Amino acid sequence: MSLPNDMIRLMRLIEFSDSAFPVGTFSFSNSLETASFEGIVYDKNTLHEFTQAQALQAAFSDGVAALHAFRAVQNNDYTAVTHIDRFLFNFKMNTEARLMNCRMGKKLGELTVRLFPGTIIDKWLNDIKSQVTPGMYPIGQGLVFAIAGIGEKELFCSHQYGVVNMVVSAALRCVKVSHYDTQEILFSLSDEVERLYQEVSSLSLEDMNAFYPQLDILASLHEKGNMRMFMN
Amino acid sequence: MEPLKKEITAACPEVDFSKAREMASYLTEPRAMYVGAPGKHGYLRMVFELDKDKKSILRDLDRRVPIIVQQALYFDEEMPGMPCVYILSSGGPNIDGDRYQQDIKVCKDAYAFVSTGAATKLAEMKYNYSGMIQHLTLEENAYLEFLPEPIIPCKHTRFISDTTLNVHPTATVVYAEIYMPGRKYYRNGELFEYDVLSVCSHGQRPDGTQLFREKFVICPDKINPRMLGVMASFDVFANVIVMTPADKAKIIYDKTPAYLDKKKKIATGITYLPNNAGLLFKVLGMEPGPVKKIVRQFCSSVRQEIKGVPIPEEFPWR
Repeated sequence: MSLPNDMIRLMRLIEFSDSAFPVGTFSFSNSLETASFEGIVYDKNTLHEFTQAQALQAAFSDGVAALHAFRAVQNNDYTAVTHIDRFLFNFKMNTEARLMNCRMGKKLGELTVRLFPGTIIDKWLNDIKSQVTPGMYPIGQGLVFAIAGIGEKELFCSHQYGVVNMVVSAALRCVKVSHYDTQEILFSLSDEVERLYQEVSSLSLEDMNAFYPQLDILASLHEKGNMRMFMN
Repeated sequence: MEPLKKEITAACPEVDFSKAREMASYLTEPRAMYVGAPGKHGYLRMVFELDKDKKSILRDLDRRVPIIVQQALYFDEEMPGMPCVYILSSGGPNIDGDRYQQDIKVCKDAYAFVSTGAATKLAEMKYNYSGMIQHLTLEENAYLEFLPEPIIPCKHTRFISDTTLNVHPTATVVYAEIYMPGRKYYRNGELFEYDVLSVCSHGQRPDGTQLFREKFVICPDKINPRMLGVMASFDVFANVIVMTPADKAKIIYDKTPAYLDKKKKIATGITYLPNNAGLLFKVLGMEPGPVKKIVRQFCSSVRQEIKGVPIPEEFPWR
C-alpha cells in the first residue's frame, strides 16, 4: 500500500486522536470519578497532578507497548503483535484497566477494519473475536498508525493526548473545573511529551513499569463501589 | 585506586541484574568486598513436603551466608502441623554489591509459613546495588504464606528483585511485600531518599504459561512519590499477591472491602489478577504496624477460605 501524502497523514492523525473517534473513550474516567468523590481531586491543581500521574503511568506501559506493536507491523511480524498484546494484558494489574483496554481495542479494530480492509487489522480483529489475542487498545493504535503511514512519534503523541484528554473530559462531568482549566492542563502536559518519548522509545517490553498504588486503590474503590457515571 | 581482584566467589547461582536499565548507573565494583564474594552472596533453598505421616516438614534446606535458616518451628496454634520458618541474615542489612537468591518449593499437598526475623534494611550504597532473585514453586494443592517483615530502603539505596511464582492451578500462595519510605524517624526523617527500588513479580503455571507480570520501578528523583496517584501523603505501601483457584478468589474478593479511611489515613484496594490467576491486594498507610495488621487480616481471610482456619494473633513482640 502506497503511503499517503503529508496532508492526508495529518488528517488521519487528527481523526484517530479526536475524542469523538468512536472507541468509547467518553465512557471511562480512569478512576477520576472516585478521586473526585473522595475529595482527592477537587480543583484545577489537583486535577493537573492526577492527570499527569495517569499520563506517566500510561507512557511507561501502554506507550511502550504501542511503539513495539507499531514496529512489529513495520517488520511484518504478526506473531510479535500478538505477543505484545498478551504481554500488555498480563501487565495490566487491575480489572478495570484490562476491561477498558480490551473494549476500546475491539472497538478500534471493528472501526478501522472498515477503513483499512485487507490489512493486518482483519487478522487481529478475528483473533480478538476468537479470543486468540486480548485486543488491547494501545496495540490497535500501533497497528492503525503503522498501516496509515503515520510516524511513531505521532503515535506516541496521539496515545498521550488520548490519555490526558480522557481524564480532563471526564473531569468536566465530575470535578468543579471549567473548559478553560482543562484546556490549560492539556496544553501544559503536552510540553512533557518530547521528554517522555525520548525516555520511553528505547524501552523493551520487560522494562515496562508502573508504580501508582493510589490510582490502583481508587480503581478498586470504583470497581467495588456503586458510582456508575462512568463504566467499570 | 584499582578495584579489588575477584579471587573467590560464593558457590551460588549467579544473580546478575547488570542488563536492567534502571541499574545501569550502579555497576561500579564496590571498594570494599567485591560483588559475589563469599558472605555477600546469599543463597537459600527450602523444600517443604509431607512426610509418611502426612506431616508437612522442611525436607530440604541449603543455605549460604549471610542467609540463616535454622529449622522449622511449629508455633501456629491454628495450624499446629505447619512448619514456620524465619529467614535471618547474619550480615545485618543488605549492602552495596550484595546478591541473594531464594528458592522455595512446596510439594504436593504440603504447606508452610515463611517470614523474616526482622525488617530487611537496605543500607546506603555508593557504587553498586543489592539484587535478589526468588523462585517460589507450588505443586498440586500446596499452600504457602510468605509474609516477611517490611523492607526499609535507606538513603541512596539501590535494590532490585525478580520473583517468579510458579503455581499449580490448585495451589495457593500468599506473597506479601511491605515497603517503608525509608528510616522515617532517623534524624529529621529519611523519606524517599533512596535511588531506586525495582520490584518485579510474575506468575506462571508449571507448564510455563505466563499469567501476570507486575513491575514497579521507583526512582524518587525522577517521579516524586508524593505525586497524587503514586503515594500522595502516604508513607507505607503493601503489595499482596494471592494466587489461588478462581472460585476461591471470588469468595475472598467478595468479602474483602476496599476503603479509604481519611481519619486513620489508611487505604486498601483489591482486584483480580489477569488470567484468573488470583488476587492483588494493596494497602497504603502511615506506619508499618497498621499496614502489617491489615495484611495479616487479609491473609487470615485467605487461610480461612483455603484451610478453614484463621491466622492467630501476631506475637506481641513482632
